[in-house]
Amino acid sequence: MSASLDKFSRLAALKPARPRAAQPATLRAPDEEDALAKQLGAGIAKNRFGEHLAVSNWFSTPEFVEPSTVALELLSRTRDVSLPKCARAVLEDPANWLFLDTETTGLAGGTGTYAFLIGLAWWDAGGLQVEQLFMRDFAEEHSLLQELAARVAKRPVLVTFNGKSFDWPLLESRFTMTRKIAVPRLVAHLDLLHPARALWKLRLGSVRLVELERHVLDAPRLGWHRENDVASSMIPQYYFDYLRGGPAEPLAGVVRHNQMDLRGLAALFGKINSLLDVGRAAMEETDSLDLLGLSRFLHRRGDANRARTTCERALDAGLPAAFRPQARRDLASLAKRRGDHHRAAALWQELLADPHDAAHACEQLAIHYERRVKDLPRAVEFAQLGIVKLRHLRIHTRDPYLAARVARLEDKFLARLTRLTHRMGPNQAPACAPLIARK
Amino acid sequence: MSESLAVQQVRTSTAITRVHEVLDAFAARDTTGEILTAVRHFPAREAQWAEFPAWVNADLRSAYAAKGIRQLYSHQADAAESVHAGKNIVIVTPTASGKTLCYNLPVLHAILENSDARALYLFPTKALAQDQLAELHDLNQRLDNRFGVFTYDGDTPGDARKAIREKSHIVLTNPDMLHTGILPHHTKWTRLFENLRFIVIDELHTYRGVFGSHLCNVLRRLRRIAQFYGRDPQFICCSATIANPGELASRLLEAEVHVLSANGAPAAEKTFVFYNPPVVNRALGIRRSYINETSRVAQEFLKHDLQTIVFSNSRLQTEILLTYLQQANPHLPGKPETIRGYRGGYLPNERREIERGLRDGRIRGVVSTSALELGIDVGSLDTVVMAGYPGTIAATWQRAGRAGRRSGSSCAVLVASSAPLDQFIVRHPDYFFGNTPEHAFIQPDNLEILINHLKCAAFELPIAPREKFGEVDVPDLCARLAEAGFLHPAGENYHWTHEAYPADTVSLRSVTSDNFVIIDITGAPQVIGEVDFPSALTSVHEKAIYIHGGQQYHVEHLDFKERKAYVKQVDVDYYTDAIRYTQVQVLEIADTTPGGDSVSSLGAQHAAPLHARSPIPDEPVILSEAKDLNSSTGNNRPAHSHSHGDVLVRSQVIGFKKIKFFTNENVGAGKLELPENEMHTTSSWITLERPLLQSLPFTVSERQSGMFGLLHALESVATLLLMCDRRDLGTAIGERPPSPGESDQGKSEQFTPVRMEEVAAENAREFFEPNLYLFDAYPGGIGFSEPLFRVHDLLVHKTRELISGCTCKQGCPSCVGPAGDLAPRAKEAALAILDRLCA
Repeated sequence: MSASLDKFSRLAALKPARPRAAQPATLRAPDEEDALAKQLGAGIAKNRFGEHLAVSNWFSTPEFVEPSTVALELLSRTRDVSLPKCARAVLEDPANWLFLDTETTGLAGGTGTYAFLIGLAWWDAGGLQVEQLFMRDFAEEHSLLQELAARVAKRPVLVTFNGKSFDWPLLESRFTMTRKIAVPRLVAHLDLLHPARALWKLRLGSVRLVELERHVLDAPRLGWHRENDVASSMIPQYYFDYLRGGPAEPLAGVVRHNQMDLRGLAALFGKINSLLDVGRAAMEETDSLDLLGLSRFLHRRGDANRARTTCERALDAGLPAAFRPQARRDLASLAKRRGDHHRAAALWQELLADPHDAAHACEQLAIHYERRVKDLPRAVEFAQLGIVKLRHLRIHTRDPYLAARVARLEDKFLARLTRLTHRMGPNQAPACAPLIARK
Repeated sequence: MSESLAVQQVRTSTAITRVHEVLDAFAARDTTGEILTAVRHFPAREAQWAEFPAWVNADLRSAYAAKGIRQLYSHQADAAESVHAGKNIVIVTPTASGKTLCYNLPVLHAILENSDARALYLFPTKALAQDQLAELHDLNQRLDNRFGVFTYDGDTPGDARKAIREKSHIVLTNPDMLHTGILPHHTKWTRLFENLRFIVIDELHTYRGVFGSHLCNVLRRLRRIAQFYGRDPQFICCSATIANPGELASRLLEAEVHVLSANGAPAAEKTFVFYNPPVVNRALGIRRSYINETSRVAQEFLKHDLQTIVFSNSRLQTEILLTYLQQANPHLPGKPETIRGYRGGYLPNERREIERGLRDGRIRGVVSTSALELGIDVGSLDTVVMAGYPGTIAATWQRAGRAGRRSGSSCAVLVASSAPLDQFIVRHPDYFFGNTPEHAFIQPDNLEILINHLKCAAFELPIAPREKFGEVDVPDLCARLAEAGFLHPAGENYHWTHEAYPADTVSLRSVTSDNFVIIDITGAPQVIGEVDFPSALTSVHEKAIYIHGGQQYHVEHLDFKERKAYVKQVDVDYYTDAIRYTQVQVLEIADTTPGGDSVSSLGAQHAAPLHARSPIPDEPVILSEAKDLNSSTGNNRPAHSHSHGDVLVRSQVIGFKKIKFFTNENVGAGKLELPENEMHTTSSWITLERPLLQSLPFTVSERQSGMFGLLHALESVATLLLMCDRRDLGTAIGERPPSPGESDQGKSEQFTPVRMEEVAAENAREFFEPNLYLFDAYPGGIGFSEPLFRVHDLLVHKTRELISGCTCKQGCPSCVGPAGDLAPRAKEAALAILDRLCA
């Protein structure tokens, strides 16, 4: 028997999950359960699948911001495809919006990750109504999901931050695992992560919700503060500890964290709404980098006109030098797309001085002179200039991947050059050689 | 079209004569008869035809007809009927017998009849899945693309995965991807699981040992998920020829499996040749380099314009052989290379191009690793040359099968290296050409492996205590996992309570995923490879010379805690050999048999008793006169016994030797202080009792040396019987622990720790009654010990054949180990012990 005891103690697969010995699971007495509810300020909710805890709070901040039809249209678009008309009517009514954020037992995804706290919020009576559903144990998951399904059925427009790739697929997976409760249907799912990234990554570097609260939403006026906030990375462990009979206090912190995330999400939604709205955006005092970000977002979602005017505004507002070539290149490709080739050519000429964009500009100008202006010698000149720029880049880089890419681009230029000289005929070809030398 | 066919026929008929010309030339040169140890002719065999079963979907039948298949081979029809009748089957047929059709026919029929039906195909490698994809695409085109078929593996782009999950009727994948990518995300695969009708497992024989034990657990998880979605899929498996395909299949699937082993496919005439490189130093048993000999043989065939494939056992050898053959066959300027290499690491497009080149004959020769061994279609080649024994009989036949797939004549040559296995095979052709004795074993209930999969299973779906998962106490293990913080009981079930994704930490190809990375710090630090934990201690200890990709590296520093070895490139004329101290302690004896009275079979009781009494040829026995001494001890007890059971293996690397290349001189040594490594595993062992040892007419050191030599040879033969690698088994000699009831003799030895294998025998004290251990080199054991115990008699007889058949005088690497390491009469002593064991 001692041998078999040894056998288990030696197994690497049974080494404790954490250095600190996990507590053995203990059963809680009913009055302790009430203590948890009290701690969280929760009540017990019941439905046909059982019980769970529900925490309800109404907050006067953030303030409700009038929706913008234009903004909603942009946010709900996926790859240039707009929502159908009937769905748009549902989308435009704020009564249908449901903010959602979950706290989970891990970030890995997959079928073994649970959402133990589902935070929901909606606009109500000029403020934000927050409802959080908490499972005291895995056995309460079905009743939690049933409640969520009912809420989504009532408010089928979901608003999340990174919920499109994390929270919602995870919940879909949870619904599938029940084999009893169908995945609720959404009319629209507006996820703010990608818009936020497009708008503020240039300026902030990181677009975590906390950063956005601090630098975009004017944190002191929001009505909450994050000083004693729990660290997100600790959340799964707090829950596991609680399950094994550990303290409930950290969970109160998790519930508060989730509340703040929901309120931050609602505030961010308001901010993005007014930024994207044509009328309001023009009036606001906006950072030049944010304008460039906005222009790129508009470009990506297919509003080329506004993308151009916003980009021009960004340049006018004194964009930092490092970002100017990027803005010019955006403008040039926007001009090309709408057929304004002369404007595009002028912008590319400006870009020739920039070390990183020069080769691209040369390529575009070579195309421009070959196809539009039909000035083949000029086209040759730019192709040759492009080759010179690339060679320079290749000699001075130590990055093998960049070198390989540059070599490929050079081949493209050489092919273009061969074609051009062939089209020009033998007599004219030598005339171009001095151009390289001059450079 | 008809013209090219005619040309083809002329070519094949002349190919026969050309093959014979080359073989005759070889025979003429082999004056002593020691080089060509076997030349076997296999006459062509006619096909056994059968009609398509009447129930087969008419469109499918015409699609096959359009490919030129209007009739089936008998085994294909049998397979289709068995699957149609709802049975799990395993088809055992050689290469190129049309086994793909055996599973595609019933699966496609089911999909065409009901477009909801889904199937999952498992292949051991990605390349095989790609090959099958091409075949299925071809059929699909003839069927107006009525079904979806995709590969799903590490190479599948992220944005294509969603579409594949929805649209694929047939998903081609590998066990690793099923384990980490599909099962833990089964909710994304509901379409597949809710309609899962068939699971196809190709190359079933590759799932043995560690890999097989893992696969069995992955299948347990797969069945669990399928049951969750209300399905109980049917299994169709294919295996190369091994002795126990039915046993392996039913062990892996844990279900009843119908075995189909009759082969109805035609076969071309084939000649199989064993080629043993000539001896250059008889006393030391040194032969000419088998790599050079392989190149020479291949070159003969190429010179006669015979399309040739050369197999080698490592990537490095592939490159060396390729260089030799390309030098000998320079391609014309402006023409493509006619000799190509083929191995893992080549890009998929390059591989496809080589496969095409082989099929249309542009490429005359290819040098490959095992990459081309499994069923990738390269058309029919004329000859196969193998540099070294591929390790198993099954793999050897598969490689040989790459020549003469359909018709004509072909030739396969096995060039033996001086490794013991190679030498045994070429000197005992009957062992190879007779009924295959190779068995595949798995141990899915190895606790280390099983618990890791139990964790994955809990992640996929909460575990109910009444669930069955292998032959273990599931509630007990769940409670232990809960105690360790991985699971939590809630309601009726155990739920996963950990942030990590358990499948990521479990590799299907090793028992634990603990390994060392090797970092080259000659220039900018760069990771050049990794070694698993057990071999790290012997191969990348400090001051070791580590060889990677033909380059020598000196190990500067071994960071044991961080599992990193820092190395620098060097160029030296020696290699290092670790001195390892191994102790084995018997924890529990599962079974023990006094020697000399039983001949047992390797197959388990329910397997067909093919070898119940395997014929043991009468080999000339050296020192047979010593036989009498055995009885002269005047003791009725048998003088030896063999047992198997649980053991604790403690090993420690205590030093190393520097050994000069070519001369094998010992040019230095060093001490090392590395932590002791403990492993609980299973072992099979032979006990040599005092009367047996005393009766041997040898000195103490000769006896000791003989035992080490014997163990070396026993290990070689054991790997042969178990279809495993030398690394899978460990060896040690130790004093037999005293058992109750035995006399006081040898009391002083009782608590002597058992000793190491490598510290040379000279200074060792004599063993009183030693145990010769052959243990599973994996924590928990991987299922070798019990079969090895059962096959004891076969093991010792084959070992005697190996040693007595070796032409060396005093031992060589091919039998009892290099002569320099042993006392002069070690070989004789080993044989004398074997004679007692065989008596």
